[in-house]
Order: sequence, then C-alpha cells, then structure tokens
Amino acid sequence: MTHSAAAPMIEVADLRKRYGEIDALKGISFSINKGEIVGFLGPNGAGKSTCLKIMTCFIPPTSGSVRIGGLDVQEHSRAVRKRFGYLPENAPLYSDMVAYDYLKFVGALRGVASRKLAQRIPAVAEQCGVTDVLGQVVGTLSKGYRQRLCLAQALIHDPEILVLDEPTVGLDPNQVVEIRSLIKDLGKERTVILSTHILPEVLVTCDRIVIIHRGKIVANGTPRELQEAQASNPPVVLRIGADGLASEAVAAVLTQQPWAGAVRMRPVGLAGELEFEIAGRGADDLRERVVALTTAQKWRLLEVRRELLDLEGIFRKSTQE
Amino acid sequence: MGNIWVMGKKEFASYFASPIAYVAIAVFLVVVGLKFFVVDTFFKTGEASLRSFFELVPAFFVFYLPAIAMRLVSEEKRLGTFELLATLPVSDAEIVLGKFAGAVGFLKVTLLLTLVYPLLLGLLGEPDWGAIIGGYVGLLLVGSAFLAIGLMASTWTRSQIVAYIVGAVLSSLFFFIDRILGAFWEGAKKVAEYFSFSSHFSNFTRGVIDTRDLVFFLSMIALCLVVATFSLNRRRWN
Repeated sequence: MTHSAAAPMIEVADLRKRYGEIDALKGISFSINKGEIVGFLGPNGAGKSTCLKIMTCFIPPTSGSVRIGGLDVQEHSRAVRKRFGYLPENAPLYSDMVAYDYLKFVGALRGVASRKLAQRIPAVAEQCGVTDVLGQVVGTLSKGYRQRLCLAQALIHDPEILVLDEPTVGLDPNQVVEIRSLIKDLGKERTVILSTHILPEVLVTCDRIVIIHRGKIVANGTPRELQEAQASNPPVVLRIGADGLASEAVAAVLTQQPWAGAVRMRPVGLAGELEFEIAGRGADDLRERVVALTTAQKWRLLEVRRELLDLEGIFRKSTQE
Repeated sequence: MGNIWVMGKKEFASYFASPIAYVAIAVFLVVVGLKFFVVDTFFKTGEASLRSFFELVPAFFVFYLPAIAMRLVSEEKRLGTFELLATLPVSDAEIVLGKFAGAVGFLKVTLLLTLVYPLLLGLLGEPDWGAIIGGYVGLLLVGSAFLAIGLMASTWTRSQIVAYIVGAVLSSLFFFIDRILGAFWEGAKKVAEYFSFSSHFSNFTRGVIDTRDLVFFLSMIALCLVVATFSLNRRRWN
C-alpha cells in the first residue's frame, strides 16, 4: 500500500455507525490520496453505503471522523459538501422535472453561475450520454438514462472528488462499459471513490480496492497486492500437449517428485491438452523445477504459471466466515 | 438568498408540472363560486361585500393548504431525493425557506384567481375597499401560516397522508381553538382567542390591519419554519 508524502484527500479514522441495535460500521479506517480511484467492494449490507453517506455529510457517524481535504465533515459540513459530486444509490431524481431543468437546478445550488451552466450542461450531458433526453421529463426515462443523468448531476460543478454509490446498477452491458471508461477518464484528474458488489468493476476501473464485510475492512490494497498477500506459495499450473499421454501417468510422475505436494488434474476445454495443478511443499517457486521436469520427460510444454488467487477468490475468502 | 430563490422556483414549478395543482385550484374555485353565486345568491342579495367569501375561504384553507404542503419534504424522503438535496452545499434553513416560498407562490396564484369577485363588486357597486384589501392580506397571512404548519408536519414523516392529516389537524386546532375551548369553558375563551387564527383573521376583514395580528401570524410562521428546520437538522446529526 503506497502512500505519498502529501496529506491524503480523504481520511477516515475509526468510523463507527449504529442504527438502533445494528452496528453498521464497526471501526473503519483508511485514507485515499489525491487522484486515486478507490473501489469499495463488499456484499450487500456490508456497510459500503453507510460509509459513503457519512463521507457525503448525509448522516453523522456514531463515533470516529472523516476528513476531506483536511476538513472534518461534521465541523465544516458545508465547505466539504462543495468539494464533491455525489451519485447516491438508486439515482434518486425528481420525476416531474425536465432533465435539462434538473441539471440547471443542481448546478445553481452547487453555485455554478448561470452563464457557465449554459456551457456545462451540454458538456456533462455529452460526457454521460444523456444529450438526446435533455428535453424529456425525468419520470419517462429508462433506468439507464436516469442513472447517467444522476451521474451528470454529480459532475456539473467539475468537482475534485466524486463519490459514486453503485454507478453501474441498471445499465445494459454496453452502457456499463461506457460508464466504466468514463469513470476511469474522470479519475485522471480527480479523486474517485465508488462502491460496488461487482468484482470486474473494481478490477477494470480502480487503482485500489477496499473490501468491506460486516462493517469492517477485511482487505485494502491494489489488486496485485491483494493477490500476492493472499498466497505466499501459490500452486503452479502446468499445461502440456496430450500427444497420447495418459493423464494419470503424468500425474503419477509429478507426484513422485520430492518437491511436489498434492497434484490435481484439471479439466481442459481444449482437446489434446492436459492441465495439472501442483501444490508446493516448501516456500520455493516451483516453476523452474516443473519446466526442467517437463523437458526431461519430453512433454510438449504449453504453459506454466503460478496460480494467484483471483479477485473473486480473495473476495470470497475474505467475506466468508 | 440565491439558494432560497432557486429552491422556491423549483417547488413552485413542480406544482404546475402535474395535473394535481390544476385540479386543486379548480376545486377551490368551484367551491368558492358555488358559495358566492348559489348559496349566497349574490345577484339577488344586492350586497356589495365579500363578507361571506372571507368567512368561507380560511375555513376551506384549513383542509386545502395542508394538501398543498404535505409533499414538500415527505416526498423527498420517500423517493430518496432528499439524500441528494441534503448533500448539496445548501443549509437546512435555505431548504425550508425555499420550499415555503414555493408553496406561498402557489397560494398567491390561488388568491389571484379569486380577484374576479372583488372586481365584479367594483363593477356593480361601491364595496368597502379597505375591508377587501385587509381581507386579502389576512388570507395571505393565515394561508401562509397553514402552509408553514403543513411544511413542518411534512418534515416529520415519509408519508404524505400522515403529513396531510397532522397538518390538517394542527391547522384546524389553531383555527377553531376559541370555538372548541369556548364550547366547554367560557373562561378559557379569552385565552384561546389569543391563539386562534380565526379571531386574529377577523380583524383583517373589518379593514383593520393591526400590528398585533401581523406579529401573531408572522411569529406563528417563523416558529413553524424554525421547528421544520430543526427537525431536518436533527435527522441528519444525531
């Protein structure tokens, strides 16, 4: 986890939130640097939205603090609220308003001068792909358009921080791809924090991942760091050409090696190829030994790789008790 | 100040974005028209006065204006739009004042449409203009007070129906309090009159614009708006 010397943009310290009898957040601490895109990942009800609602000054924490740009969200709520754009969960919009008027309304309350708004509205509408529906009443828009209109609203004042609660819910696959690349684009000059329970989303868009489960952070790092932290001695996967070999025979040869642990045959979709997963005994990297053995046995080598636990594996491992 | 204007404009426009506002205004005008022409048989009585108009309208407002105010905050809470509104750099007082201003704008439109009656009187006879102007000032004040009560009730719940019922009950309590208490205990009547909207309002219809009545309505409105602001705030910071 790399941290630059500069003060972090967002600092969350021992954040706790109780709703009646339920502890939604049980002491969460992390920080986000300027320009980072951070993904909040967790199953439904993990506390992601609660955390974002506190960061955006919608609800107060039970204890702990959030500082944005060095300002405490409770003491300097209004100054903090000026600095971010927020897309709440489910994109709540006034259904009786015309889309253009809605953007104008939010822009005006965001303090954008009306002359500048006349330029900003077409610009953010273009960015978010809602240009065609600006003249329509919000209530008549599809879920995808509503979601993107709400994102346009979050961008209207060109904020330095973007807080997006489940930004791709309700979009079709093409729109999902568009919005993800838009978020990545926006993240070039902005700090972005987004929540999702969709794994590929964080992989594609985020620099860093914070996994939350039952109100606690269970993992925090880049996708690479998380993968490496999970497995100090990951199994090696070997793929060879079948060439008339019996897979049991190959497995037997592998098992006999002193350095090999458990050997497992893995089903391969392609005919004429065999795949094995070899667990290590010590802490050594087995790849060289496997390659040497393959050469000695004159097997036709197709692939050798270390099997790092993928993000889905990490997610499942860290969110199961 | 700018934010209140933006909020108020949006609330005012949203009344006319749905057919409900037109229906509400139509119902109001029909009821007032029936009373004026049919019940009071205006053309036969030959009296150039709006006395009966000023008796009917505030009583009608007791049930009509809470319906105009009920959605102001409760609907935002139910639809979740309040989350976005509350995280904009706008203070709770600005939200409350803006919404109140939008609703008062609607009330003004309603009152404006009834100006045909005094105009008719002016054409046909010599009405007491002082009483009419006073009456309209009174209607605006008593109506604004009902809207402030309705707005306050609307901050307490996500349900528009509950907001309406609470608003209408509080409004009728404040409007009829002297008559309700007076029916049970003659001694309480004097005290009740001080709090009664109707007794303060009746001075206006005599063409008397008394500072005490002005202060009474303005402080009622201010009190309700302060409570409304406080209850928005409380929900966010506890």
